[in-house]
Amino acid sequence: MFSLKFFRQNRNFVQISTSLQIACSTTRKSSAFKRPQLSVPHTDHLQTLKTDLFQQRSELSPSEWKELRTSLISKYKHVSESNVDAMILGLCGCVEQLPLAKNYVHYLRGCGLEPNLASIGRLLRIYNASYHASGGNDSALSTEEQQDILNVYGKIRERYEILDATTCKNLIYGLVCTKEWRTGLDLLRMAQLTSKPSIGALTELTVKAFIEGELEIGWNLLEETVIKGKEPKCESYLAYLKFIANEPVTLQCSLEKLYSFLESHELVITAKVAQYIIQLLQKNSFNAKSTQIDSRGICQHCGLHLRDISVSDAEYAKLSNSFINKVLIRNDIFQKSTPEEVERFKRYVTKTAPYDCVIDGLNVAYSMGPKRPPAALATLLVNVVKHFKSQGKYVLVLGRKHMNSWPKDALMYIRKNASLFLTNNLSQDDPFLLYATLKSGQSTDFFSRDLMRSHAFLLGNDLRIIFRRWQQEHQYALITQTKDGRIIVKEPTRHLLYTHKVQDTWHVPYKSSYSPNPSDTFEVPESWLCIKF
Amino acid sequence: MLRTLFRLAPAHSVLRQHFQLSQCTNKLLSACSLTTSAVSRNCTKIAETKTVENADQITKTHNNPFAKTKPSYDTDEATNKIPPPTGEEERAKLLKVLQLEVDIAHQEGKRVPTLESITEENWLHILTLPSKSARFKYYGYLWQVEVKRQAKERKKEERAVQVLERKEELRKQREETDHIIYGLGHTSFFLRIYDSTINNFQNNRLTRAMQFSPKIVLDCSYDQNMTRREALNAAKQLMLCFAENRAHDDPFDMHYCNVNLESVCSKALKRYIPTMLNPEFPMNVHEKCFTELFPKENLVYLTPHCRTDLEAYNPDSVYIIGAMVDTVNNEPLSLAKAKRLGIRMARLPLDRYLQWGSGSGKSLTLNQMVNILLDLKTTKDWAQALKHVPRRKLLDMESEGQQQKRLLEKRANRLNFNLNDVLDEKRNKGREEQRQKIRTHMKNTPFDVDAWGAKKKNRNSN
Repeated sequence: MFSLKFFRQNRNFVQISTSLQIACSTTRKSSAFKRPQLSVPHTDHLQTLKTDLFQQRSELSPSEWKELRTSLISKYKHVSESNVDAMILGLCGCVEQLPLAKNYVHYLRGCGLEPNLASIGRLLRIYNASYHASGGNDSALSTEEQQDILNVYGKIRERYEILDATTCKNLIYGLVCTKEWRTGLDLLRMAQLTSKPSIGALTELTVKAFIEGELEIGWNLLEETVIKGKEPKCESYLAYLKFIANEPVTLQCSLEKLYSFLESHELVITAKVAQYIIQLLQKNSFNAKSTQIDSRGICQHCGLHLRDISVSDAEYAKLSNSFINKVLIRNDIFQKSTPEEVERFKRYVTKTAPYDCVIDGLNVAYSMGPKRPPAALATLLVNVVKHFKSQGKYVLVLGRKHMNSWPKDALMYIRKNASLFLTNNLSQDDPFLLYATLKSGQSTDFFSRDLMRSHAFLLGNDLRIIFRRWQQEHQYALITQTKDGRIIVKEPTRHLLYTHKVQDTWHVPYKSSYSPNPSDTFEVPESWLCIKF
Repeated sequence: MLRTLFRLAPAHSVLRQHFQLSQCTNKLLSACSLTTSAVSRNCTKIAETKTVENADQITKTHNNPFAKTKPSYDTDEATNKIPPPTGEEERAKLLKVLQLEVDIAHQEGKRVPTLESITEENWLHILTLPSKSARFKYYGYLWQVEVKRQAKERKKEERAVQVLERKEELRKQREETDHIIYGLGHTSFFLRIYDSTINNFQNNRLTRAMQFSPKIVLDCSYDQNMTRREALNAAKQLMLCFAENRAHDDPFDMHYCNVNLESVCSKALKRYIPTMLNPEFPMNVHEKCFTELFPKENLVYLTPHCRTDLEAYNPDSVYIIGAMVDTVNNEPLSLAKAKRLGIRMARLPLDRYLQWGSGSGKSLTLNQMVNILLDLKTTKDWAQALKHVPRRKLLDMESEGQQQKRLLEKRANRLNFNLNDVLDEKRNKGREEQRQKIRTHMKNTPFDVDAWGAKKKNRNSN
């Protein structure tokens, strides 16, 4: 026999002597409240609740519900009448017990308490979870359950003119289980009045659209997901693949559409989706295999050379023209430099351009460690300049005025065999480096270990993409210096790092797991899919 | 000197009507200062916008040439931000939706205050926040305030009960005795010194300082670069600067320059010191820039972004402290300003005299800066002056030493190594046999090859 005794607790009341009560003023409200010790339930307590009460049970008697409710309210300071229902339904949701949740709502209605918006939202999410658990097709939920959802939706829309983002999201989760999922699209618009769209809601609608065969709606939603800066989840891709698996005739075309989508937005799919694609293609006897790309950019399976990165002339011009305004000058030139220095540098660049390579002197010098004597720093820089001189290249070295105190012979060598420009000690030298490289032409590289994240951010969304592509193509990084003074350098990866087509073969990179916020990664994807048409 | 105090009392009443926040939500939404441009909506900084109508000649709204119109990181073309509401019905609708949002979040158990406790002013601020997460962070703050207030009230009532009991007892005791009762409130030979007396004394010293002491400038032109929370913190620090300067034995002549009276920071400062702009109050508030008040050769801007340390204190030079709380914004704004104006720059020689710890950053609050300068002026000794840097920022030398010691002891224990054996070899030769070389708890147990070589259990949890 199960008993709830261990939830009962002695209530402590503050003892107030009656004589003083008459003398005191009327504001007695907070001391009359109970003083529970804890503020919110600990996860252990919730766990015990779930295991003892909820598992293997599909309904509780009204008295048990009442006990549970009152014990939670009395025991915890921040659990009150208004949020205890949502909390209990949230617990049911974890265990995915639809009948239990419905039983609780029934009990509440029996008590005369209408469940509030948050509780209804939780209920809709439980509906959604059980819908997906039982297959995710039209017959997953019974007709009266679907009717229940639609009634709830109708009532809520009637009462409130505009709904907030959480309620819209929960309603979308519920509507996706019924036939009326198209109204979810209106709800999506409404949610965007107050917040950015949630990836969960977008995914649910996309998946439903693809299952129902509404490819156009699905693709619009995927485009919208990417435009809002979120990465589409695996479920959206899998739903699309499952749909096109039923039509082997148009399989290639539909897959091409997916690949071009991945190409245009530079997205990387996960291993799960990649496996599914391989299985799908191999079932229909197409040539698809997962491979790796070696350092020269050649696919190990088909032997083709991947496409090289290129920045078109127009884009390059756009980048180089607006670079100095957006990054160096911005609103206040004095934050990074001074007007005289910028003018001096511009004149210097026009006089000594074009270069083969621009070296960030201090980045190179300090790459062996920050606490080194100036002699060591100077020798490293000299070795790098020698390395380029031996290849017959003309370089520009950027530094700061304090480098004048370095060993004189090192500076003499640099001045004789390359160009040297020293900025003020208080100025930032990275924007100068990039400006010189951009002004010098499309074939100039630069030499720095810096990832240039802050400068990429300052350029804004459109220019950032162009900048990253240009950076990938042109950045050399120092790895180390050998004992006899030779320099080992990391060359830039010249091939494209996203989905693209070479002759008639698509190469699709994939990663191991999904990450909700894709940030700028500088790593080369290790595993690729090689798909031949 | 007193003539430099800016008289703004009449102008203030003109401005005040623009910012009167009434209780009714309709009036709230139709206040003309609220239908401001989209710029303020897209900015995450909640700078009060410059007033639209300023026809009055007395209100010298000084257009600060150093203030930026847009924060420097707002490079996005607002593709991802929520479109701001235009027009009044839109604002009313948005307000309703946000109230619903608060209600539902409260029902879900999130940290939002109850709907009734959010005031009109709070809603004004909430409507300007750009994103949902920013709103929820603000709700979290309001929730915290509400919960603390409730706890305080509850504790106050509990204490009130005890106090009454105690007073009853005391009164009963006193009624019975016929002796004289000494103590505060009864017979006493101590003169009561009221706060106002202390204030008058200090004000007098401050007016003397205005005539004879070295000067210090607090540059208040950074309001556009601070979020609302930072601006309120800055206002509190400015108030503390004034208070600590006044309370010191030998105060500075303190000038607040580039003050924009409609900014968030200055309004909060006015709340802290309501008589700030009164002519008889010894606080110098200027809307002008410090370059117009003092000759340029004497100015030294104290900024943490430059490379030259302040060597010695020079009483002839006017030191400028930028009144900015820069937790969010870490651009070298004060450096840029000093460079543009061509003023000398310096920073405090913190590295030379202090060991900085790993935790907190090297930022000092404004009142800490003023205290350091005050002590520097009096003692001319950096070590003494830098005692005002909070101890938690510095390296804790003692705990470092103890940590090392503990680590060494731990390793010695593991290797069963006892230093005394090595050091006192000759003396304790006889005692060697007594010293336990093997672990006693394992002595009588049989040898278990499976457990042999297993890692020693960490009995001390440190």
